[in-house]
Parts: sequence; C-alpha cells; structure tokens
Amino acid sequence: MAGALALAVLLAVASLHAEAVWLDVPQSGTKCVSEEIQSNVVVLTDYSIMYESHPYSHPTIAVKVTSPYGNTLHHSENSTVGQFAFTTAEAGNYVACFWVDSAEKGSGVSVNLDWKIGIATKDWDAIAKKEKIEGVELELRKLEVAVQAIHQNLIYLKERQVVYSTSL
Amino acid sequence: MARWRPAALLVVALAAVLSAAWRADALSVTVTDTECIHEFVPYEGDTVSGNFVVVDHDIFWSSDHPGIDLTVTSPGGNTVYTLKGKSGEKFEFKAPRGGMYKFCFHNPYGAPETVSFYIHVGHIPNEHNLAKDEHLDPINVKIAELKEALESVTAEQKYLKAREARHRHTNESTRKRVMFYTMAEYLAFMAASALQVLYIRRLFSKNVGYNRV
Repeated sequence: MAGALALAVLLAVASLHAEAVWLDVPQSGTKCVSEEIQSNVVVLTDYSIMYESHPYSHPTIAVKVTSPYGNTLHHSENSTVGQFAFTTAEAGNYVACFWVDSAEKGSGVSVNLDWKIGIATKDWDAIAKKEKIEGVELELRKLEVAVQAIHQNLIYLKERQVVYSTSL
Repeated sequence: MARWRPAALLVVALAAVLSAAWRADALSVTVTDTECIHEFVPYEGDTVSGNFVVVDHDIFWSSDHPGIDLTVTSPGGNTVYTLKGKSGEKFEFKAPRGGMYKFCFHNPYGAPETVSFYIHVGHIPNEHNLAKDEHLDPINVKIAELKEALESVTAEQKYLKAREARHRHTNESTRKRVMFYTMAEYLAFMAASALQVLYIRRLFSKNVGYNRV
C-alpha cells in the first residue's frame, strides 16, 4: 500500500511538472516571450526560478507584461515566484519580458513559465465540486469544452479569411 | 476499508496525468543566434509533437536566407530530432526516455527573427506505464485517445494561425511595396510629362531670338 501511495504522489507531482516550459534568462539583457491573443481571452501565468541550477546564490528576476497598445499589465521586481492574470481587452501581440535584477547574477537564471490561455485556465476542480460531476462525466465535459474551443478557432480563422479576401 | 484509499489516490493521479495534456502555448521568442526552450516529458515513450513558424517575413526578402534550424536534445545529451533550414515545420517524435528535453532554434543569419513555437507532450495510459488497477478500463483509454486526437486538431489550428499571421505580414509588406512603387512610378511619369511640356514651350518661346534679314 505504501508503494502504491508513493507511486500516486509521484505521478501527481510529475503531471504538475509537465505544464510549463523553461526559459534561460541571460545574466545581462532581457528574455521576452510573446503571443498573438484575441480580445476577451483569459490569460493565467505562473513563473518561478529553478533553484536547482543555483544551489549557493539566490538571484531574483523582474517581470513585465505589456499589451499591444503599450499598457503595462503586470510589473514586479525582486521576485522568485509570481503569478499574473488578465483578460485581454484588445487583440494583438502580448509580450512578457524577464530579466535578472539582483546583484548576484551567477551564470544566468532558468525560469519556469506556465502560460495558460483560454480553456487551459479553467479550474476543473472547482467546476467538479460545484456541479457534482466526476470520473468519466468530468472527462467528457473537458472534451466538450475543447471541441467548442476548436470550433471558435475555426470561426476566427474563417473571419480572418473573409477580411483578407475583402481587402484584396 | 483501507484498500480503496490507494486506488482513489491512483485515480486522482490518473486524472491529474490526463489533465496535464490540456496545456496550449503558442509562444513566440526572438532568435538572434540560438534560443533554447526546455520541456519536461514525464514518461518514456510519450509522443512529443509541435510546430514552429518564423513569423517575420522581411529576412527572406533581402538575401538567400537558409532558414531556422531546430535541434531537440534528450536529457542524456543525445540529439533525437533535427530540422535544417525551415521557415516553418511540424515535428513529432517519441521520447526515448523521460526527463527535460531541450528544443533549440538556431539562426545562421545574424538578424533577429521571431519564431512562434508550440510543443505538446501527449500521454495515453496503458498497462506498461501505470500500475494495473481496476480503474484502468477501456473507457479511460479511449477518452485519452480522443483527447490526443483533439489535441492534434488544436495544434493544427495553432500552426495555421501562425502561418496565417506570417502570410498576412507578407501580404501587407507586398501591398506597401506595390503602393510605394506605384506612387514612385506616378511621380516619375508626371515629372517626365512636365519636363516635356516645359521643353516644348521653351522651343517655341519668344525669348529665343532669331536673326531676321
């Protein structure tokens, strides 16, 4: 029974690690990631420094998120862990920039970035509790939401095509 | 009484593993020389799929650009996947082992380019990966396979969206060039016409004296 328990915990922890990408932020300069997002889309992002590569020094990073019109949506300094969330007001390119702002820079910082958009931001645990669904029904509900998101994406691409051919 | 608790925890872990597949990021990074993105693959044999598109279009106009190289390195340091000289491509491979995989985009040309990338790690449970349990029934396996199919549709949509953005950029640039060349052509035409009119009027001008005998 203890082995099964350890295996379950290991699987749960492993699944958490599968939800993010790692960026190497240089010791001087800025590392930016961006994405084209439509309007009225929820964005939820977690970031943290991976301390495994810095066992003796503790660098901190600064984070800044800007909207396509230049508004600052999130700005924090001297942080090792953080989270930001916003709903996009305008469609365009949203940029998140990271840079090292502590005195001890070491040889660069590895940042874990978990960038979730749209349906990926849904809190399925809360939904499951609220609507009292579980098991296969919950999984099928997730599939339904994913199919609806695909449908919305197709409509969006179709509208872009219409605008395209009209302008030509 | 105590026998169902590990099974319940296994079910929770199974749901967590399944829900891990629903992560979608089509982020963009600026590649000047080499940019690396790391992605964690939990299990050996998982299917790693994705795509990347070079969103910038200007770089391919001015010179014979060789394109972007993609190299995927396994946790042990071996190269498991390589793409050379691409402006956009899909990729898919099976992970030989679990761990942190490194996706490196290399830009042989010096000018910075924006690369939109999407990486997905898909996992379908089977009796080789998970401990055997009565909850691992064909319904869960079929649901996971359906999720992977939907995930491939989502990846295809992200790929098309990135290519559409790049195509739009290219067409906007082409339209601006056509407008610029057309206006320049109009200006040259009007200048030539004005010069012709002035020249002919000068030929018949009264200011030019003729010797009259």
